[in-house]
Amino acid sequence: MTPELARADRAAAVREAARSWRRAGWIDEAALAAVASRFPDDRVRVGPVFRALLFLFTAIAVCGGFGFLAVTVASGHDGVLAGLALAAGASLVAATELLTGTFRRRQGGIEAATSLMAIALLLGGGAWWLFSPGGLHLADGWPVFWTATAALTGAAAWRWGYPLYAGIGTAAGLAAVAHLPAGRALWIALPLAAAPALVRLAESPRLPPAHRASATAALLVALAGLYVAVHVGSWDARLVESLGGGHAEGLPPAADGGLARWAAVAAMILMPALLLAAGVWRRRLPLLAAGAAAAIASLATLPAYVHLGPLWLVLTVGGAAWIAVVLGAWRYLEAGPGGERHGFTAAPLTADRARQSLLEAAAAAALTMPAEPRALGAEPNFAGGGGRSGGGGASGEY
Amino acid sequence: MNPDAALAIPELAASGALPAEQVPRLLRLARGELLSVHAELRALLYAGVLLLTGGVGLLVEQNLDRIGPLAIASALALAAAAALGWVVRVAPPFSWQEVASPNLAFDYLLLLGILLVAADLAYCEAAFGLLGVHRSWHLLIVAGLAGAAAFRFDSRVVFSLALSSFAAWRGVSLTLAGAAPWSRNGAWRWNAIACGLGFAAFGLGLARSRRKPHFEPVAVHLGCLLALGGIGLGMIDESRGAGLAWAGALLLAGGALAGAAYRARRFPLFAYGVVAAYAGLSRLLEIRDAAAGCLWFSASSVMMIAGLLAAHRRMREAAA
Repeated sequence: MTPELARADRAAAVREAARSWRRAGWIDEAALAAVASRFPDDRVRVGPVFRALLFLFTAIAVCGGFGFLAVTVASGHDGVLAGLALAAGASLVAATELLTGTFRRRQGGIEAATSLMAIALLLGGGAWWLFSPGGLHLADGWPVFWTATAALTGAAAWRWGYPLYAGIGTAAGLAAVAHLPAGRALWIALPLAAAPALVRLAESPRLPPAHRASATAALLVALAGLYVAVHVGSWDARLVESLGGGHAEGLPPAADGGLARWAAVAAMILMPALLLAAGVWRRRLPLLAAGAAAAIASLATLPAYVHLGPLWLVLTVGGAAWIAVVLGAWRYLEAGPGGERHGFTAAPLTADRARQSLLEAAAAAALTMPAEPRALGAEPNFAGGGGRSGGGGASGEY
Repeated sequence: MNPDAALAIPELAASGALPAEQVPRLLRLARGELLSVHAELRALLYAGVLLLTGGVGLLVEQNLDRIGPLAIASALALAAAAALGWVVRVAPPFSWQEVASPNLAFDYLLLLGILLVAADLAYCEAAFGLLGVHRSWHLLIVAGLAGAAAFRFDSRVVFSLALSSFAAWRGVSLTLAGAAPWSRNGAWRWNAIACGLGFAAFGLGLARSRRKPHFEPVAVHLGCLLALGGIGLGMIDESRGAGLAWAGALLLAGGALAGAAYRARRFPLFAYGVVAAYAGLSRLLEIRDAAAGCLWFSASSVMMIAGLLAAHRRMREAAA
């Protein structure tokens, strides 16, 4: 990331914070204008809707252009097509550099699309050379492909500051090490080693906001990898070993009740608890979110190994208990001095309430009313329940 | 947490740009010493409601013979009454304007209560055949109940549920009548268009009459998506002429929506319009050749990008 882009991102972060303070009513318009004048924007940006449209049409333009070349120039010649993909990918890298550099575009949609298409075409072209006749054997090619993906997306995240690429790069790195003989051990050791550093990087004032967000994305993917590696279901199914091309042959049978399996059970319980504790201790939403997701996954796994009763009972009691716990947490926070406890508050503070409200309305539209049983051929039994999609053309576009 | 804001706040405060009394709070927030979990708690509540209603659905499906229909219907009614009773007890007085929720759980317990009522009604209809041949009407009744509750308790979440239940009523009614979405008589298409236009008109009416004007975006968004989707369904009509006519209609409707939304600065609606118009135009051209198709999509997208950039520039100039 160029120093100019990093500076622009830092200024944008301050302006965004000021807008949220204004929304909360803590500062007035004059103060907001003063912040904007002290931290001016030298980038060409567009709003989220224009950004999405520009991204969409840029992606269509690139796909259409490449498709045209593929049909007219490279039809029936895979090697030529792969070469074209590499050339087009390289051109799009140059275009992204031009757009973010000379044209100073940021959050503009077009440069995000060109960067994504560049990565996709470079990887697609590279994959053809790797796996084509005369190339590497399939088992040898995948580790190379995943390593190249990790390197390319990592470089893109560092250069252009897109957290998505950092997340993809971390996932590709994990996929690459899964091919090593000690793949599962590395899936545990590497995230454990990297997590403290990634947490610090995600908060470091020395990094620009985009790189902090990239560190957060890498952290979340690494923690997901760690959870998968210690999950008892993944141990039983030899999931990591399968991802690594089937190095499971030398391992003991899955459900042998050995020490490693019990360690996996213990880790599956401990990991969400530790993540939640760390999130509460440091007051960090990514850690809390990772801990909550891991806890939900562990709880969802439980009925597969322990008979808790019929599913309806588990869901009903679980849902009621869940609601009670959330309401309890809310009341606990609200009853604290000034409506906060240990640095947490249930008050919305700077949240965009109107936007949040519309998102919630969109989510509610996705709830189908309990389906009319006879209409859907489910007679004589009832087949209702929430959570199905459909209804009135629900959309997440709000 | 925002380290850049944390660094900037003391400097801004020293220059007088920020009110001094707010600085400690802003610093706490920027340094991550104070964290709001409001949105997260609401999302967790939503997940809890989904779990609970999913469990209730399975309960009535799997235990009909063992527990008996009357016991199930009564249990559901009791649970719904408990949730709605709490809502009624804490609800603020009615107003046509926006009313702040008395607490974080209000919207979601109301939603849970309505979903339980809906489940009970659907179950009673299935078990006792309450509605006879008008089986799908339970969705209409639920839509009405949810709509009334949404207005009384000022809940956009439940209002959205009311609209989607109304649309689902039309869909289930058509399915019962044997009509498929792609059938030649176009029943689905016309119903979607009518529902969409009705929702949009209802939303605009609310805004114009200043009665629950904050419900307008929900109704207009859902209405536009339904109407455009309905017109778009026509493009897959087996008859070539009809398919092209519907493509033309989508182009016109999308273009009109995009233009109106652009003038009104309603950008999500603008996006729906642009995408719909582009889809209509692309279908209208009936390009069969692969190379020509690719060339069309590439060239037309470049033109769309140019148009969007020009529109954005005009908008900024007008705002400046």
